[in-house]
Amino acid sequence: MSGVIKNPRNGCALHGALQTVQEIRGVVPIIHANAGCGVINYLSALSTGEGRGLTGGYNAPGTTVQERHVIFGGASRLREQIKNTIKIVNGDLYVILNSCESAMVGDDVEAMTREIVEQGEPVVNTLVAGFNGGAHYGYEHVLADILRSVYEVKKNERKTDETLVNIFGIIPWKDPFWKGNLDEISKILKAVGLRSNVFFGDNGGVEDLIKAQNAKLSIVFGRWGELPASVLETKFGIPKLLFPTLPADYKDEKELIEKISELVSVNKEKAEQFLAKEKKYEENYRARILTDLLDYDIGKDAAIVGDEETVIRVAKLLKSTFGTEIRSVVLTDVLKHDEDHLADYTDDIEGIVSKVYISSDQKEIEEILKASKTEFIIGSSFEKAFAEKRGNAALDISFPIYDRTILNKTTIGTVGEIGLIEDIVYAVKKYEWNRKNNLVAYIRNY
Amino acid sequence: MGKKIGKHIAIYGKGGIGKSTTTSNISAALAEAGYKVVQIGCDPKSDSTNTLRGNNYLPTVLDSLREGNKIHLDDISVKGFGGVLCIESGGPVPGVGCAGRGINAAVNVLQELRLFEEFKPDYVLYDVLGDVVCGGFAVPIRDGITDRAYVVSSSDFMALYAANNLFKAINKYAPTGGAKLGGVIANSMKPGYHREIVDDFVTKTGTSIAGYVNRSLDVQQSELYGKTVIEAKPDSAQADIYRNLAKYIAENENLVVPNPLGAAELRDWARSWGDRIYDIENGVVGVAEAI
Ligand SMILES: Nc1ncnc2c1ncn2[C@@H]1O[C@H](COP(=O)(O)OP(=O)(O)OP(=O)(O)O)[C@@H](O)[C@H]1O
Ligand code: SF4
Ligand SMILES: [Mg+2]
Repeated sequence: MSGVIKNPRNGCALHGALQTVQEIRGVVPIIHANAGCGVINYLSALSTGEGRGLTGGYNAPGTTVQERHVIFGGASRLREQIKNTIKIVNGDLYVILNSCESAMVGDDVEAMTREIVEQGEPVVNTLVAGFNGGAHYGYEHVLADILRSVYEVKKNERKTDETLVNIFGIIPWKDPFWKGNLDEISKILKAVGLRSNVFFGDNGGVEDLIKAQNAKLSIVFGRWGELPASVLETKFGIPKLLFPTLPADYKDEKELIEKISELVSVNKEKAEQFLAKEKKYEENYRARILTDLLDYDIGKDAAIVGDEETVIRVAKLLKSTFGTEIRSVVLTDVLKHDEDHLADYTDDIEGIVSKVYISSDQKEIEEILKASKTEFIIGSSFEKAFAEKRGNAALDISFPIYDRTILNKTTIGTVGEIGLIEDIVYAVKKYEWNRKNNLVAYIRNY
Repeated sequence: MGKKIGKHIAIYGKGGIGKSTTTSNISAALAEAGYKVVQIGCDPKSDSTNTLRGNNYLPTVLDSLREGNKIHLDDISVKGFGGVLCIESGGPVPGVGCAGRGINAAVNVLQELRLFEEFKPDYVLYDVLGDVVCGGFAVPIRDGITDRAYVVSSSDFMALYAANNLFKAINKYAPTGGAKLGGVIANSMKPGYHREIVDDFVTKTGTSIAGYVNRSLDVQQSELYGKTVIEAKPDSAQADIYRNLAKYIAENENLVVPNPLGAAELRDWARSWGDRIYDIENGVVGVAEAI
């Protein structure tokens, strides 16, 4: 099974966990690993313009374990690091992220965490060794472990809030549009009288972790938020609602609101007004691109590379808008047979796609794309570069995206839908335009 | 690693079986015969060379690594009986850290200190802890550090079981330049069926006996004096046993890749001996007949 994997894009569990906590305001990570584990994370994320700030990038506190800590145990080094970090970096919650090394040496971090918590410090501990899984696994597990122990560390009376909903499955950085998508979900829920607990970004923070116990419902988009939602379900009886994808369009928004209203009371009148508005918005813009659809042979076929949630959502949109034949898709997040999740979206994909592959090996992915013989490739910057080299149309929406900055652009809901359609049409038109120009230049020179 | 200076020999065996005692007596016997010898205890207990140096304090290699100061050969070695250079790798306190990596690091430190180039030994003996539990403890037989290993075993099943595990490790690493087996040192031999069991085991695994060492009060007594038998009781029969063993090991070039028994095979083999021993002990048959 061994071989070279070219450009595995996602990083390991530790990286996923680190990226996750770095986006929760008030959380300070403490990496228990050798320096390389943290630095690789920084380097791999350079593309996205994230990971700066007090505990981002090179500033992430860590034990920078060395050989002698492996031999004699790294526990005392970690204790020292925790104390110093608490002294120097202000935080509401300190999260110890244990690497492969910590796991193999067998440092009793759990006992040390307890000791420090007893001294009144807000510290939680999680094992996110890279040999256990990838970045998406890290996102799930760090959130689950925090939610398992944060209520012992930050004591807070529990009081159910009838309008509060936890949002899981939108992974910072792994979804390049995570910020805009969180905002958009919040907007939709707000329109029907609910408030979202988003955890990440400027509207999130440690308070959201604490408030999570008060929520009436947890919503999980895609497979990767199931674990933290299950922790809250077991601990507090908060039900969870699973969706294969974020809402791709008006229809999905409607279904989302309907499903939520079965479990939480929503403002019916507001909901109807909102949905009517969304419907009009979608119809209006869809009508306006009709001419383009006729002029160009847009999206006759395509291949999509990315995380499962994105792939399903974008494939559905392409199909419903342009009638695209999705020749093949490559899932870059679901890397092994998955027994950890209830959710199984295989049917959702197989219903809309001719061939489904699982790979994070760039070389293999490029071979799959070649074999799919499509003219339109949707994926990350890697696939975009490959497509452009081959003279195909390309659109980058999956991680990593190197050549543009995404701050709060969304790809979901009707707003995201229309935005995506714009991008798709732009990608194809640009490709046609270039082809035409090249042809003209060729004829002139001839 | 360049050309090896001296013969490098690893001694393995189940915990408490007599590795350190035997290794120290071999070292003492070789020193007595005029050779330059290094004995390296590869065991976090760091008690391998006790009887060579009268139980005196010796800082371990890993102790000095832990301090983080620059290490000098003099700080971590001491000359014991007959000029045997005694070194202990040391390790973490029980229950924390990774002792396997510790052995590895200690051996690296010794190489960095150019121990062998400086001391120019004829023989280097590595007394390696207990069973081969993980990759770290296989270091001395891997990576070309030693080219030969001996295993100390009594006739007890669990000791032979540990020997069989070592055979598996040798079998795995020998093809890529790891050590081969020099033989089995049959320790704690008593009258009766003990020899026959070990003999049968070596035949089954395609190996051989390097020597039989009797269970003897001299060993225990010398140990209490903080000495090897060679030093404390040079005229005893037991001292001669160790001298012969040392001579065999010094001269033996018949190194083999053993054929370890499979789990079921080993179990069946042990069971067959169980039946025979019962008969012998109960006087149903004599030893010779029983085999
Ligand atoms: N041939 C022998 N006759 C009598 N006693 C012996 C003999 N060989 C070893 N012993 C005794 O057995 C005990 C254990 O021996 P030793 O410490 O050499 O074993 P070891 O294999 O090095 O143990 P460990 O795995 O703990 O390092 C010692 O007290 C030693 O004196
Ligand atoms: S896989 Fe393990 S060793 Fe590698 S970066 Fe991740 S935690 Fe560190
Ligand atoms: Mg010993």
